[in-house]
Amino acid sequence: MATPLLEIEDLYAGVDGKEIIKGFNLTINAGEIHALMGPNGAGKSTLSNILCGKPGYHVTSGRILFKGQDLLKFSAEDRAREGLFLSMQYPVEIPGVSITSFLKHAVNAVRQYKGEDELDTMEFIKILRQEGKKLGLDADMIKRDVNVGFSGGEKKRLETLQMSILKPTLAILDEADSGLDIDALRVVAEGVNALHTNDNALLVITHYQRLLNYIVPDFVHIYADGKIVKTGGKELAMELEQKGYAEFVKERND
Amino acid sequence: MTKLLQDIKLIGDEIPWLKDFRQKGKDEFISQGIPTAKTEAWKYTKPNRFLANDFSFCPQGSKDISPYSIEVPFKACQIYFENGIFSHHDELPEGIEVLPLIEVIMFHHDLRDKIGALAEIKAHPFAALNSAYLNEGVYIHISANVTTPIVFVNHITPQPNGNMYNLRNLVVVDDNSSAEVVEYYCYEGDIKSSYLVNVVNEIYIGCGAALKHYKVQDEAFKAGHIALNSVKIKADGLYQSFCLQKGADLSRNETKVVLAEEGATTEVNAAYMMNGWATIDTTTDIEHLKPFTKSLQLVKGVIGGQAKGVFQGKIHIAPQAVKTEGYQLHKAMLLSDEAEVDVKPELEIFADDVKCSHGSASGELDQEQLFYMQSRGVGKDKAKQILIDAYLNDVIAKIDNENIRLWVKSFIGEHD
Ligand SMILES: Nc1ncnc2c1ncn2[C@@H]1O[C@H](COP(=O)(O)OP(=O)(O)O)[C@@H](O)[C@H]1O
Ligand SMILES: [Mg+2]
Repeated sequence: MATPLLEIEDLYAGVDGKEIIKGFNLTINAGEIHALMGPNGAGKSTLSNILCGKPGYHVTSGRILFKGQDLLKFSAEDRAREGLFLSMQYPVEIPGVSITSFLKHAVNAVRQYKGEDELDTMEFIKILRQEGKKLGLDADMIKRDVNVGFSGGEKKRLETLQMSILKPTLAILDEADSGLDIDALRVVAEGVNALHTNDNALLVITHYQRLLNYIVPDFVHIYADGKIVKTGGKELAMELEQKGYAEFVKERND
Repeated sequence: MTKLLQDIKLIGDEIPWLKDFRQKGKDEFISQGIPTAKTEAWKYTKPNRFLANDFSFCPQGSKDISPYSIEVPFKACQIYFENGIFSHHDELPEGIEVLPLIEVIMFHHDLRDKIGALAEIKAHPFAALNSAYLNEGVYIHISANVTTPIVFVNHITPQPNGNMYNLRNLVVVDDNSSAEVVEYYCYEGDIKSSYLVNVVNEIYIGCGAALKHYKVQDEAFKAGHIALNSVKIKADGLYQSFCLQKGADLSRNETKVVLAEEGATTEVNAAYMMNGWATIDTTTDIEHLKPFTKSLQLVKGVIGGQAKGVFQGKIHIAPQAVKTEGYQLHKAMLLSDEAEVDVKPELEIFADDVKCSHGSASGELDQEQLFYMQSRGVGKDKAKQILIDAYLNDVIAKIDNENIRLWVKSFIGEHD
């Protein structure tokens, strides 16, 4: 069997000295879509931030392998260059930096890391416009500064646009559905689905089942109290929607 | 006294006016001395540390200077100085006259009164020092709407350490005339060369005239650069300036603007960036003397290492200067824990019915923004550079001339 894309083994970790992840295990193979569901404050964003190397987070014990390599040895930028992508729950506004210029730097940094030539600016702008259009971000939006003055939904579209430009091997979508109305949800989901192939994988983090009607997972994990308490197929999400989280947390405690 | 003042026989000492002018400068510098922490106008900048490496006047022995010009990426008319000595200028377009200042003193007695009338040596010890050595510099006379930018370059070539270069320029913009002047201070060779450049510019702007004055100070890291720009604007005149200070161990760019008649307007913008142990000082002093005058100031700095940024901004509104507007904003970004910024705004408002405001803020590089960029594959250093560039973007955008703006941006790093 091929090396899994991501292997998290018995991870204990947290932020600002506070232990939040306690004995977390997860393996993701190429071609798979995983959903991670859990109540607010369970530590979902903490997990995504640790995977992406955000400063301020610590790992107490356990291992994380990305494509068989120790992920924690890589800087945040090298993780991205290796093919990890996080669609953030709260995308950051960067006044004074245009989307076009920012993404050109990003794409070229990744290409350079892989030993590829830099993209020609005109060619890059053409691709960016095409991909943006599919996500309902027109040329004027793309000329604007990164996330500045964007609505919640527009920010999520821009996250998805970045994903489609960077073409990651493993994309983590942290609450990609928050702030989206139903039409926008469909557009974002279609964008994400279009990028999914047998060579890459998705980790979809959400606390509602809604998104999973559009991005259909192979596995659903329920995350509570720092670890996965139950794993099932896509029907688990429906069950969760009906019963609520309390049921599952209790089930485990019994 | 230090080596800053020496008994040297200068060209023109036989001209009584000049001898007297130099003597007054000398006496004044001796009486004031080098400013210390007790000197109010210099209390944050404290030049003594830097001046502990004594500097001495560089006698202009050989005039063996190169006929080169410095490349600038736009069409310009260049006035080229090497090591503080005037070398040559490009062919001048219609409406510009350029003469060595010493020639003006000798042959244009009517202009003598303008020299020293704006740069007050009583309040400015380095202007006094500059006057004591009055010799090198040019007179720039604008008598039309000149469209080609004038680029004034002082280029320091490899020299023994310890030289002081005094430059004195007189700029006169006639009524209803206009021009753009770029001042560029650069060096060649060892980044650690230690020298002192001391500049005084006296600028007269006529009725309905306009001068856009841009400056890039890119001296060597152990150099000193002290400049005083003294400007007087007549009715409906405009003086718009932008100064980038990025080199030198000790740097001060001081701009004094007198809005002497109704409708006079000034914009004094500046950016500074430095690392190491440097001190970079931006000092402004805007005097609103008449009604309907207007001043706008935006100053932004980026300070790393153990460096120190200083901003002193004064707006004075005289009792009769009603209906005037004066705005001032300073912002600094501190890149390290040991970086420091000292700010002293001073508003002296003696008139009613004026609009006046000032503000100052300092912050750090936004860690969330930095991580966001890194998480997309942009290297940390590159991401920092992009954020610094973005931070300075609004003040750089104040440079109207696009060619000059892009050129100034190239000194900051990130530009696309
Ligand atoms: N910087 C921080 N310092 C301290 N506690 C934090 C910090 N960030 C998050 N937490 C705490 O960690 C827990 C998990 O948060 P988070 O990972 O954002 O949860 P989720 O994404 O599942 O809603 C919460 O209790 C939250 O308050
Ligand atoms: Mg979250």
